[in-house]
Amino acid sequence: DPTSLGLGLDEEVKVTKQRRPNPKLDEARLLSQPGIPKLRRTAKQKLRFKGKGHEFQDAERLLNFYQLWLDDLFPRAKFADGLAIIEKLGHTKRIQTMRKEWIEEEKPKPFYDRTNTE
Amino acid sequence: EVTSVGQDVQVIDPDVRMHVYSLVTALGGFNGADADRYMLGDDALSCLRDIRRWLKLYDQRNNRMDVVRCLGEANLVMGDILPILSIWWNNGQNSKHLTRVALACLELLVPLTWPAEYHSQMTANHHRHTPYIQQIQVQYKRGVLRYGGSNLLRAVIRIALPSMAIPRSERESRDEGILKLMLYFLRNVAIITTNERLAAEGDEEETSRSATINAFQDQDAFALILTMCSNVAEDFNQQDIVLLEILFHIIKGVNVDKLFLNEDERKAQRSDELSQLLKKENQVKREYAKNAPTRHGRFGTMIWVKRDEHKVSTVSGQNILRDDQASLQKMDESKKWKRPGRTRRNKDETVQYNDFNTPVHLSLLATKNLRTFVEEFLDSGFNPLFTHVRKAIEREAERVSAINARQFFYTVGWFLEAERARRARQAIQRKRDGKNTKDVEPDSFGLVASVLNQETFISLNRGMQSSLDNKEWDDLTAQMRCFTQILLTVQEMTFSPLEEDQEIADNIQNRIFYEETTHDRVLSIVRGYKDQGFGYLDAATELSHVFLRMLERYSKTNADLQIRSKRRAKKRKKGEAAQSAGQEDGEGEAENEEDVNSEDEDLIDSAQVSKERAFDFKRFAAKFCNQSCVNTFVEFTSFYRELNSEQLKRAHRYFYRIAFKQEMTTLLFRLDIISLFHRMIKGPGAMESSKPIYKEWEELVRQILRRLTKKIDQRPALITELLFSKMNSTIYYLEFGHERQTMSTA
Repeated sequence: DPTSLGLGLDEEVKVTKQRRPNPKLDEARLLSQPGIPKLRRTAKQKLRFKGKGHEFQDAERLLNFYQLWLDDLFPRAKFADGLAIIEKLGHTKRIQTMRKEWIEEEKPKPFYDRTNTE
Repeated sequence: EVTSVGQDVQVIDPDVRMHVYSLVTALGGFNGADADRYMLGDDALSCLRDIRRWLKLYDQRNNRMDVVRCLGEANLVMGDILPILSIWWNNGQNSKHLTRVALACLELLVPLTWPAEYHSQMTANHHRHTPYIQQIQVQYKRGVLRYGGSNLLRAVIRIALPSMAIPRSERESRDEGILKLMLYFLRNVAIITTNERLAAEGDEEETSRSATINAFQDQDAFALILTMCSNVAEDFNQQDIVLLEILFHIIKGVNVDKLFLNEDERKAQRSDELSQLLKKENQVKREYAKNAPTRHGRFGTMIWVKRDEHKVSTVSGQNILRDDQASLQKMDESKKWKRPGRTRRNKDETVQYNDFNTPVHLSLLATKNLRTFVEEFLDSGFNPLFTHVRKAIEREAERVSAINARQFFYTVGWFLEAERARRARQAIQRKRDGKNTKDVEPDSFGLVASVLNQETFISLNRGMQSSLDNKEWDDLTAQMRCFTQILLTVQEMTFSPLEEDQEIADNIQNRIFYEETTHDRVLSIVRGYKDQGFGYLDAATELSHVFLRMLERYSKTNADLQIRSKRRAKKRKKGEAAQSAGQEDGEGEAENEEDVNSEDEDLIDSAQVSKERAFDFKRFAAKFCNQSCVNTFVEFTSFYRELNSEQLKRAHRYFYRIAFKQEMTTLLFRLDIISLFHRMIKGPGAMESSKPIYKEWEELVRQILRRLTKKIDQRPALITELLFSKMNSTIYYLEFGHERQTMSTA
């Protein structure tokens, strides 16, 4: 009797199908290459403002730039929703240190600063 | 246990139903031969008393609503009580027996019309019966306001008149009870409204606020209220709270400005309104036409949006051909996913009858009637009533319930606004009549003086603080409105031609602005907005707007304004530090000793360190310059399509202050804010460009956007920072391009 051997041949094998996890817009995604690094890389070439007299077109250009970037990064979210998610992520420790770093990068060096102002 | 719904389902115990029905039947009825005459049953009075006993001993004692519902189904009010009252009014007032029957009817009417509210301690039984009772009460109200040709409100007032005529010292408790019954009946009539969640049966018009006001005017209920209010201190000191409640339910949600337009202005405004609405509709149509397809629906247009890295997106529809903006917008709109976790808290049902944030529209006649009443009330009843009510609330008298404080503050605020509107109208009237303003004796503000005293300020301040601490947002909203109106009234007083008024106003302002806690409270209210609803948002932004402007003006004219600030924690730390160091100077030693010796350390502590210092408006205004305040105003501005010019102006001034007075434009450099500003001006769904406020906004947004593009060129870090709320540590650098030079030592 095969069942008495305890091989468990007759027991039904349960196949639990793992649900595919939904993609999330989280810190990792935001800091990955198509995330903020790309934003910083492309902004310089993409964002050219016309300046005085074209304020509203400039704003449109700016908003479109971010919308397309966000659509690449996290296609399922609407622009406003995506912005809200990112804004919330901005309160986390990791992103905050990164933000500080990015700002530090562009700051003039203290020494240089002093000579510059005088 | 599942019961099939059908005729067999009993929601009420059949025995109870049987008893109640037999009582209602025995009460009387319409005579067969004389079908439109109501005949009183032989033992009507006992029947009425028995029914009352049922209500008391079955419903109230067991906390059920079965008898109330049963009486509703038995048609007691429409079929018996109202006809009996009508008989009494028409030809029974001299009969002692009939008068007693009428009084017994009133005794039943009050519990039957008692507002059935949702509350936290509801049983399954309550949940079952409340919707039915709310619905039937609307029918009761309709019957009361318009029963045949009878004046039933007047009849009810008549029942209580003999008790009213007796001086208070000689009144017995029975008389007081009758007065109470009559007033509570008026209150119930004022409260009952159609429930928007239940199917209406054409009752809205006949039971609306307008109908109530007109009935109150026609049947002298207003006259009664005025008499009682102006004599509240002498003759009716137990009735003050009920009177307040009646007033509250009559005026809640009524727009003061509309109330005080005169006939011509109102007509002009109405026709203006119509043409404006038509214009607005036209604009909507035009905007649609701009984007509407020019071909039939199956024309099948599709375009590619070329993107980086040789990628394309496809968008379909003809309207996208117009420009890039449209296609990008369409790309966004076609997304289905919604960000999770933003569930709206469902609206609290418990506020249904005490909600003052929903605007109420009055008919022309009702407006006129209410205005007459309001003016008479301001002239005679305002001071006596509100002084008395405030004292009762402070004393926590037995008749005061928790809701009354909210009603008090809202009503006071509303009437202060009404008084200002009336004065404004009088001023215009005088100018129009061509009288020299010097000929007319200017009115003093004595008519509303009772709420401009120190006692009111103290109780208002205390109330605001405790509502804020306990998160009672509806209370806080009422208090904020009241405070705002007090401020505005005081401001008007400073412009009064009477020197005495000016002096008083100066004095009041000094007292209001003296406490630093008040300043901080206004600030924390604005900062603390989160999901409290539009009413709170509106009140909070208005308060901060008015408060800041008045404080600015006052501190300018009174350069040496002193404020009292309490710094407890700091002093204490100092004390501790001194103690640990072991070398105190004489003063410190004394302080410490007192600290240690005192039984109530905190009390002494706070008393000790409250000190006066010169007020610096700039520093105070800078406190409003932070992300959470900005968020509150952004939230408020996002309703721009529903806001009126005054509200839009308020938001405009705030952002102007942030950007150009405080030089903190960086706070506004966040993509959602930029996107909102851009949408307000350029659409889709932009503000109406014909309004004057549009021009101001356009200019402001233009300036902000210009700064934005400039700043992005100067500081590329903004590219990433645009996504986030700014951090305190970097905001100064982002704004000015260098670190703060002097660290503040304070």
